[in-house]
Amino acid sequence: MHDKNLSPLQAVILMLALAIVLFPVFWILMTAIKPPTDWNASPAIWIPTEPTLVNFQTLFDPEALGKYGVGGVSQPATKAVLGSLMATIVATALSVTIGLFSAIGISRYSSGGKATPLIILSGRMFPPAAIAVPFVIIFSNVGLIDSYAGLIAIYVAVTLPFSTWMLKSFVDDLPREIEEAAMIDGRSKLMAHLTVTIPLIKGGLFATTMFIFILNWSEFMFALVLSYTDVSTIPVQLAKYVTATAGTLYGVQAALAVLAMIPLVVVGYLIQSHLARGMTFGAIKQ
Amino acid sequence: MPTTKPLRNKPSGLSNSAIARMFTLPGQVVSVLVLVVPLMVALYMSFTDWSPTRGSLFDAGFVGFENYSELLVWDTRFLFAVLRTVLISVVCLSLEFVLGLGLAVLFLRRFRGKSLLFSAFLTPMMILPVVVGYIFWMLFQSNGPINQMIEFVFGAEATVEWFRSSTAAIIAVIVTEVWHWTPLFFLILLSGLNAVPENPVRAAVILGANPRQVFWRVIMPTLKPVIIVAFVIRSMEIIKLFDEVFMLTRGGPGSATETISLYIYKLAFNDFQLAYGAAAAFIVLVGSLLLVHLLLAPVRDQLLETER
Repeated sequence: MHDKNLSPLQAVILMLALAIVLFPVFWILMTAIKPPTDWNASPAIWIPTEPTLVNFQTLFDPEALGKYGVGGVSQPATKAVLGSLMATIVATALSVTIGLFSAIGISRYSSGGKATPLIILSGRMFPPAAIAVPFVIIFSNVGLIDSYAGLIAIYVAVTLPFSTWMLKSFVDDLPREIEEAAMIDGRSKLMAHLTVTIPLIKGGLFATTMFIFILNWSEFMFALVLSYTDVSTIPVQLAKYVTATAGTLYGVQAALAVLAMIPLVVVGYLIQSHLARGMTFGAIKQ
Repeated sequence: MPTTKPLRNKPSGLSNSAIARMFTLPGQVVSVLVLVVPLMVALYMSFTDWSPTRGSLFDAGFVGFENYSELLVWDTRFLFAVLRTVLISVVCLSLEFVLGLGLAVLFLRRFRGKSLLFSAFLTPMMILPVVVGYIFWMLFQSNGPINQMIEFVFGAEATVEWFRSSTAAIIAVIVTEVWHWTPLFFLILLSGLNAVPENPVRAAVILGANPRQVFWRVIMPTLKPVIIVAFVIRSMEIIKLFDEVFMLTRGGPGSATETISLYIYKLAFNDFQLAYGAAAAFIVLVGSLLLVHLLLAPVRDQLLETER
């Protein structure tokens, strides 16, 4: 099975598939460096006539398009970028920390493992628009609406099942004899876990952290319904740009989209061998 | 859940159950606060006629199963949203499976630059859904590159208004989804194929089985749990499909691309029918749980095996 080379036909199919996979990425990158004259040309322009970084500038300085005689965006994306960074980093740290403790508890002591899967599945399968409804009500009553604290709470809610089960699969992979040896040496169970288990799953911990980062950074709908004026994230800002300036400021929208996707693609390549594990709650290990 | 044998008890120190509680308590507290409580609030709400103009949720009138019967019997828009989501699921999952399997089989061959190509093929699933929706919204513009390519291939002038025709808009949503998630099938199926033991395959070939028989009789049984996991994960995601459609069509034209999630979003945040939306969500939840239960039934034991 593994010792045959590609036939010429198969090679052609593979190249065609590669072109289809990469074309949309190529398009967004090209649009992000197009000058305003190229944005909405008919027929569409594939390669910018004069590549420029002005679209990226406009995100932080709405006046930057002035030299092309084009009005800028109504609001800069600075707040959204900072908001996304802050909320994502804090929520990822919380989700992974809580998930790590739960993972050790479930894997080594099978505690709380009976009802948990059903609750988690329910949480995962409930249409998010409807989960957002009670959140909006609860948050309105406790003053968390339109606040980063509220947004972070939601991010943790969404990603905790992923971090718990992904980390549990890494703890499961670790032979428990290693911890037992440490305990026989006179360390308490707690110390054995902190000084033996956790250091030994470093790689898994890193992969999980990156995976949760991807999920938080991508979250859109909850941020959309929970943010009014004080809170913004990149996905919400992108939707606002498209709504407010439909069909006009393609270049600026594309620049923000590129800014949103670059960190994820970099992180994604770093942990590509663990992506399947994360997506399938540890059911599939590579 | 697998049964784990507790770690050897030491005479000194905390008992196993105390340690276990210490480790799982934070996660349980957070889960109750951010998952169980909102679910309970939503469940209560679905039996009332509450809307934001009516003051507190607990002053709202209790209407029993009225919301549910309305949805299940009279609400054709809900019915169509469900049917549409089922249609999109069936078409997308079939395409993603076939394309993903085809790619995975090609990756069993030897060729140069394989690891680079492998990364390249995973790229779509790393891009956030909102951006994927935005990219394809641009590609499908009437003066965009997709119409250009259609012109180039067919020689006729293509002025497809992708977002003005119901059929075209649904096709646009499906194309977007398939591009975004075929890599996940490819990844999962490739890891499954690589786990197929070599010896039975060789033996079957020596015994004169043709490639088709080898595939269906020898390889498929090993792949089955992997395929089912992929289908379950993807159907869960499609039930919640929102971001891409929101960016592409907002559910339009009319309600031609309104998925379940989009309908519930509009109910709650455009029409402020929160109680009614909550009821719709619970109908969907029960349906999805049943579906997943049925899908997982044949492989549950195998999956639990691999967990240990």
